[in-house]
Amino acid sequence: MRVFGKTTIDFLAYRKIFYFISAALITAGIVSLVIKGLHFGIDFLGGTELVVEFTREVEIGEVRSAMDKAGFGDAEIKTFGSERDILIRTVKQGVGTTIGDQIRGGVATHFKDNPFTVIKEDKIGPKIGAELQRDAYLAVFFSLVAICLYVAFRFKFIYGVGALIALFHDVLITIGMVSIFDGLTPNLNLEISQNMIAAFLTLVGLSVNDTVVIFDRIRENQKIFRSMGLIELINKSLNETLSRTIITSGTIFMVLVVLFVFGGEVNSGFSFALVVGIITGTYSSIYIASATVVEWNERKARKKLA
Amino acid sequence: MRKYRFRIIVVAASVLLSIWFLLPTYQDYELSSQKKALTGADSIQFVEQHEKEIREFRKKRIKLGLDLQGGMRVVLEVNVVSLIEKLAKNKDDAFAAIIKEVRQQVARSDESPVVLFRSECERRGVRLSRYYLNLRDTDDDVFRFLEDEAKKAVDRGMQIVRNRVDQYGVSEPSIQKLGGTRIIVELPGVSNEREVQDLVGKTALLEFRLLKEPEVAARVMEGIDKYLAAKDSTNTPKDTSDITPEVEKTPEQFAKEHPFFAIAGFTQQGVASVVEENKDKVRRLLDRPDIQRLIPSDMEFLWSAKGQLGQDGKKYFTLYPAKKTAELEGGVITNARATIDPNYNQPIVTMEMNTEGSREWSRITGANINKRIAIVLDQSVFSAPVVRSKITGGHSQIEGMENLEEGKLLEIVLKAGALPAPVDIIEQRSVGPSLGEDSIRKGLLSAGLATLLTILFMVIYYHTGGVVADFAVVFCMLFILGVLAYFGGTLTLPGIAGIILTLAIAVDANVLIYERIREEQETGKTLRAAIDEGYSKAFSAILDSNVTTFITGLILFQFGSGPVQGFALTLIIGVAASMFSAIYITRIFFDIMTDKKQSLVNFG
Repeated sequence: MRVFGKTTIDFLAYRKIFYFISAALITAGIVSLVIKGLHFGIDFLGGTELVVEFTREVEIGEVRSAMDKAGFGDAEIKTFGSERDILIRTVKQGVGTTIGDQIRGGVATHFKDNPFTVIKEDKIGPKIGAELQRDAYLAVFFSLVAICLYVAFRFKFIYGVGALIALFHDVLITIGMVSIFDGLTPNLNLEISQNMIAAFLTLVGLSVNDTVVIFDRIRENQKIFRSMGLIELINKSLNETLSRTIITSGTIFMVLVVLFVFGGEVNSGFSFALVVGIITGTYSSIYIASATVVEWNERKARKKLA
Repeated sequence: MRKYRFRIIVVAASVLLSIWFLLPTYQDYELSSQKKALTGADSIQFVEQHEKEIREFRKKRIKLGLDLQGGMRVVLEVNVVSLIEKLAKNKDDAFAAIIKEVRQQVARSDESPVVLFRSECERRGVRLSRYYLNLRDTDDDVFRFLEDEAKKAVDRGMQIVRNRVDQYGVSEPSIQKLGGTRIIVELPGVSNEREVQDLVGKTALLEFRLLKEPEVAARVMEGIDKYLAAKDSTNTPKDTSDITPEVEKTPEQFAKEHPFFAIAGFTQQGVASVVEENKDKVRRLLDRPDIQRLIPSDMEFLWSAKGQLGQDGKKYFTLYPAKKTAELEGGVITNARATIDPNYNQPIVTMEMNTEGSREWSRITGANINKRIAIVLDQSVFSAPVVRSKITGGHSQIEGMENLEEGKLLEIVLKAGALPAPVDIIEQRSVGPSLGEDSIRKGLLSAGLATLLTILFMVIYYHTGGVVADFAVVFCMLFILGVLAYFGGTLTLPGIAGIILTLAIAVDANVLIYERIREEQETGKTLRAAIDEGYSKAFSAILDSNVTTFITGLILFQFGSGPVQGFALTLIIGVAASMFSAIYITRIFFDIMTDKKQSLVNFG
């Protein structure tokens, strides 16, 4: 079976259009980041979070009024997977588990005839939150640098730069999408947690994986077709690797969709970010990473002429 | 076949090794599902019968993260500022102001509190020796002293928590030091936060308790033994003409007639010695209300905190018959130190008490010469020295430690009474067992489904090539789990996600190779040549792309925590395993097939 036979698509001819699309997506993301912002989870904000499982379904509004009475008017309340499971979160800090106990007490007095169990409880002190945040930034930063260095070492320097720009592009678009899509439907919970950071790093890995395969082919073709122009060469390489790109990305996409649908509440934000990431990652290998190399070369050529 | 022999052996060995590593995980699963089917007394009996196997398999199985099996994780931080405050002498208003300032700085800064304290003192032109050690000491001396005390406080905090967790009987607890001042406690299966409050919130209680006289202890234990034997014989009719002499009794007979002494050996010193595997059994026995009635109301059995190796290489715990009320509490201790006695070259621990304590101590020791006084921290006995003489002046010396290590432990314990380590809970996470089970189900469902879809797709798209790649995927999964079991790794929900992703990466390697082979075939090469070219040309792309994934995995492992580390771990293992199976193993299949039956090989 073949999805694509031999193709001769002139990918790079359309690159200006795609620059525009990328810029539009990134702008939309940044606008959303500025207006709506990101939804930081308890890992980074600190505070107390409980997931309460009731025996029967409850109204969110009821839980909210219970929390208002208990003195947690600022608490965030939403469903966690099903209508019986309610997540209650406050950024208030207290000694030991006092906040958790107060929340529990508030729920117990309001829902006397609907017994509940607490299936998850997290309490994060303010210092830990700040530290986790710093570690997350460091992790993303170091992996970007390490990957850039590796690619620059294995290929030419400008390829490393291309890969790095592509990675920034993917991360930016995905963060933007996470900001836009968070809370659009009640079951889509896209808060920035440790799992989400893991998703971003995986995205970085997968995206560069795709880029490297294309660069590898360019490197190989450069040795064979020494006199071929760079654009033609890259186009040829892109066409040759196209069917692999589609199949691999398609497989990963399929796996991620399964994870998103069946993987449970904990994995849903993770797989959402990766679904977006695998799409931009595949696309950016062509129109950002490879295109950067082309633009760089053309600028150099223009300079030489001038 | 001969020329493939070596490669086949390598693969077979890897597969067998993986299965071998995974066997305990499977056996553990079998045992626990058998146990689940039983209830109440049956299940306790089952546990007793299989105690050893359960322990054995538990140790070697793949551990489940707290997010999968439910449990609690607590991060404690020793409050070094409080410690500095407590240690100070001649506190004045200036000191209070410094402490207040440092406390605010600590909340914002990553710098060690001791360093912050020193610089704050220097900023205000206050010499550290004004509050610590002697006036002649330099700032550096005091600084080193405070650093040392802070370090010891963490050790003390860890010892206190470990001691309580051990008593609690949590299976597979994990207690680790993190950085300079933190302690991570992970308790699988515990989800009640009130229990944790008990575990870490309470101040440590150090007591000196008299042991009961050996005769009294012997009488009580005999009573228990007889009661149990009598109760046993009502169930199973016993041969009344018991003429076999004691010495010739088989262990079975002895166990029948002396059910208690068979598992708790009575020694001359008036204590009982219990082998590790029977500890829980004896503990449960002593907790029974009918047995409790046989123990005098002023007496209580306490366990030794640590086991000792017996001559048979097994670990033995000591059961001490102690008085229920303490003679003295540890708050009176002002200092303790483990050293080597220069005269006898033996490890000793010296202990100082305050005036009030010294007075009491001399009365207690004077009245109980040649009796044993147990040093008890939170209901565990750390040492039970014999009183040699009346101790006046509050200066005591404890001997009889096996080595300096044991002495150091006792020093930590004694100081826990003198200077309880002030700890704060800075992070606490708990996952209920039902959520954990739900997560496992969803994780396995999605992993299974993803695998199935991928396998189907590969066969449809690449025909025999796909079948071979699918074999590689299965091997890859086996290797990941095997390596995880070997390193005692922990499987978390993100970890399962990592395995699923690895699956995709493993498939990608084969896609790269097969696409290359197809290309080569199109240029008119023979099958064999196309396979050769395909593998060698695809290799550099596979290597480069895997290395980058590997790098992100390593960084994630370094900076992530808990479940996220689980993800990084499976990703790292997965990258290595997938390269081995997708390149090395599949090649053997194709080489053999092209040799034997070329018509079989088909890349779709």
